[in-house]
Amino acid sequence: MNTKKRIIQSLKDNNLFIKMFLIMVISIVAVSLLITFSSIRVSSNLFMDTFSITNTKVLSQIKTRFESYSFAIVSATHEVQNNGTIKRVLTQEDENSIETSGSYLNIIRQMERIYPTVESYEANMIVLGENERLFNMNYSNWPVSWGGLKNHSITQHTISEPSKLQYHFISSTSFTDKPMIVATKALMERSSGEIYGVLYFPIREEQLKAFYEGYTSKENEVLLINEAGKIVSSNKEEMIGVDAIDVLNLAKEVEEEELEFKDVNVFDTEYMLMSEYLPTYNMYLVNLVDKNVVMDNLVNTKEIIMISLGIVLIAVLIVFLISRRMTNSISTLVKQISTIAKHDFNKPVTETGGYEARKIANAFNFMLNELQDYVGIVVQAQQKQRNAELSALQHQINPHFLYNTLASVKFMVQQGKKEKATDMIHALISLLQNALSNIDQTITVEQEIKELKNYVLINQARYGDRIRVNYFISPECLDYHLPKLILQPFIENAFFHAFNEKKEGFIQILVALKDGRLVCEIVDNGDGMEMKGNYMKEDFKEKRHLFSGIGVRNVHERIQLLYGEEYGVEMTSAKGEGTRVKVELPPQKVQVASGT
Amino acid sequence: MKKFYLMFMMLLGIVVLAACSSGEEASGGESSSEGSASVDKITAWAWDPAFNIAALEKAKEAYNGDGEYEVEIIENAQDDIIQKLNTGLSSGTTKGMPNIVLIEDYRAQSFLQAYPDAFHPLTDVIKSDDFADYKIATTSYEGEQYGLPFDSGVAGLYVRTDYLEEAGYTVEDVTNITWDEYIEVGKKVKEATGKNMLTLDPNDLAQVRMMIQTNGSWYVDEDGSTPNLAGNETLAKGFETYKKMMDEDIAKIVSDWSQFVGAFNSGDVASVPTGNWITPSVKQAADQSGKWAVVPMPRLDMDGAVNASNLGGSSWYVLNVDGKEEAADFLLNTFGSNPDLYQTLVKDIGAIGTYSAAAEGDAFAVEDEFFSGQQIITDFSQWTEEIPAVNYGLHTYAIEDILVTGMQDYLNGADLNQVLENAQSQAEAQLK
Repeated sequence: MNTKKRIIQSLKDNNLFIKMFLIMVISIVAVSLLITFSSIRVSSNLFMDTFSITNTKVLSQIKTRFESYSFAIVSATHEVQNNGTIKRVLTQEDENSIETSGSYLNIIRQMERIYPTVESYEANMIVLGENERLFNMNYSNWPVSWGGLKNHSITQHTISEPSKLQYHFISSTSFTDKPMIVATKALMERSSGEIYGVLYFPIREEQLKAFYEGYTSKENEVLLINEAGKIVSSNKEEMIGVDAIDVLNLAKEVEEEELEFKDVNVFDTEYMLMSEYLPTYNMYLVNLVDKNVVMDNLVNTKEIIMISLGIVLIAVLIVFLISRRMTNSISTLVKQISTIAKHDFNKPVTETGGYEARKIANAFNFMLNELQDYVGIVVQAQQKQRNAELSALQHQINPHFLYNTLASVKFMVQQGKKEKATDMIHALISLLQNALSNIDQTITVEQEIKELKNYVLINQARYGDRIRVNYFISPECLDYHLPKLILQPFIENAFFHAFNEKKEGFIQILVALKDGRLVCEIVDNGDGMEMKGNYMKEDFKEKRHLFSGIGVRNVHERIQLLYGEEYGVEMTSAKGEGTRVKVELPPQKVQVASGT
Repeated sequence: MKKFYLMFMMLLGIVVLAACSSGEEASGGESSSEGSASVDKITAWAWDPAFNIAALEKAKEAYNGDGEYEVEIIENAQDDIIQKLNTGLSSGTTKGMPNIVLIEDYRAQSFLQAYPDAFHPLTDVIKSDDFADYKIATTSYEGEQYGLPFDSGVAGLYVRTDYLEEAGYTVEDVTNITWDEYIEVGKKVKEATGKNMLTLDPNDLAQVRMMIQTNGSWYVDEDGSTPNLAGNETLAKGFETYKKMMDEDIAKIVSDWSQFVGAFNSGDVASVPTGNWITPSVKQAADQSGKWAVVPMPRLDMDGAVNASNLGGSSWYVLNVDGKEEAADFLLNTFGSNPDLYQTLVKDIGAIGTYSAAAEGDAFAVEDEFFSGQQIITDFSQWTEEIPAVNYGLHTYAIEDILVTGMQDYLNGADLNQVLENAQSQAEAQLK
């Protein structure tokens, strides 16, 4: 509960900072996010566009290479078909060794003449005839036997469509583990339609790859897909021979719709697909660009994000520190000001923090000083007024009192009590002297007690001594000063009001130091009274009093005005129990002018 | 407040620096290896994965020197190797060239003569006496030993004992015979079994080459470059023998390797006169086990001719590029001095080396069940020693191309002397 409160309090204290900081952070983050993403987007779009353009160019260049190879094959095929020697050797029946040897030599010579057309592509050339006639220009390229080739499925396919130049994919033969693409053509006697041989142009996939490999990279793949959807050639070795009907269909789509490129998802990867149809091969040349990898290479997203993250962090840190500094000073100021309003007007606020905060604090302090000055003036004015009032009251010695006292002296003289009359006159003179002197001055406890004794003497002389007065003065207190006419009104009260019902009793006056205060108590065992309402308000006015205007309330206010609220007069009383008045004062040893 | 600005500037600086530094990654990692610096990787080029490449792999395993380098083996077709070597060496650049290359003996001289500085001499590295004489002749040039002789092309006559028996012959009857006697046997065999005696490829005069080497003759003179066709009696005899085989119709005409192998695998021919490297192909037809024997090559019926010849075979060469010391060290510690390696080669690959010390090993004395318990490796090794050394010279294949046509003319009835003279003048004109 307490912690929660504290948290709420600290939130409240840091309200300004939190608001400012949050807004700043949110805007910084938002701005950097927007900029980062839009720049990545813009650059990747731009890149994709240019990339697709260059790759389309590259594709058509690769296509040209494929076409030139197919052209070489076509022209070689043409030459073989139109070559009489080859036809004769393939068709003629068994002869003796010498003739056979001659024809074999001749056919090889003819083939050697034609072979260079395709040899530059590192393709092989094989002619297959009946009677185990097999002429292989590059045995190591495809070490195939007559029987093996004769019964090969590609031979069957070729013979079934004799007029067509076909391209076959051989993934792996029993002779070699390297995939090949074999162009085949049946050799047909035009007039009779009789097939006298088959012509093969096997090229290893790795040689075919050379047509485009230079343009490829890990994320920029080229595939050659035949009409059955099989990947015939690829820069990615593991893709060769894989069925990829979906890619073929996408390639067809791109080709038919004449798209520049298409974003596709094949082989579980996002690709940009471009395609070219190779009509002579009846295959599709497909270019797959792994968008993510390319992007990663081109736009270093990580780096950009790291940089903006770094900038955000630094900006936030700076904003944090600066706004913290700014708001902190303002918050402290606010805190100080609110405390001042509650407790203490004298304390100036500390002038720290930023320029603004310092100015405000300065202004505030200035205002505070002014305010204090005015308050001081007001207080002074009030004191002066009070003193004026007091001195006016002091000087208004009740004529009844004088009359009564003087009448008592007259009786004493008449009765011959000369000495008593003299004492009385002395006491009166002393009282008057005291009353007429400056009200501002303090007097010692000793003096005050003396005055009290004079007063009591007069009263006892007049009214008899059924009310006894006892003094209990702690000797150490005698030197302390106190304002004039502080205790006298209470003694007077006790004399004239405490003993209306009870006809006799005593009044005790105690002066002592207690807890660092000068405490004066006037205790009587008289009638007492009900403590109702504000008993200080009412002043008793009576002829018997020395001064007509100085009341209990007056004393209390005067003390508070002089020494602060912690001092003052406290009165306790109960019916039939007597009254106790306690006057608390600061202990002052020197003469202090009370009020200036 | 000043502190704050300082901090801000510092942070800004760090960010800017970080952004800049990411651009300049390690550059200049690949220091070019100019000069004769030692290298930590050498490359070797060869063809035929089942034979030469496999032999290199075995050599790599068997290497017992203390050089610290890697050997990278690259397979290329023989024609590619020749083309790349020619292109590279003629342009004078060593970039992309291998450290070790396998070159067929027939072609070795042409390379050594054309690019004498391109090869690193091994004269001080290997002991020539350790190898068969005839290999040393083809792998050295102007007194310097350049090649490390590898496989033996020692030839033998593989015969079907069952067909011979049917025709009334024994293995002894075909051992150490002349070609004329061979033709007589062939006639009988064809009569008795209907099978041809051998296969001939009209585009390949390997038979003629083997024949003339039995008498220590070749297409070129001792100097290795002057064509020696017209007036070469041995060659004329070879031509005559060849024609006789054709005339007697004991040869099956083939046009490529598959037909050549197919002929004896299917039992169409009674004998195969060729290099020892055919053994694995012969043994492919497991059902013919016990029906084969190997006897010495027939010789030409001339004085001085021996029953031993050669066909093919190749040797290792070190190119004069960075890493040549390592390459020489590799060859010396494998093919050059390790008899155990040759045992492995014989056992696992069937390759017979020409390192004399290796012939004493157990693997050479193994009796081969397929050949009815004949110790064929031992026999081949013995015959290797007898092969007449000839300088194959520079133009073996160029001259053979001319002779192939000449042979055809001769078969068709032209005068032999005329044919050879024509060939001679054609060769002289072409090979100037």
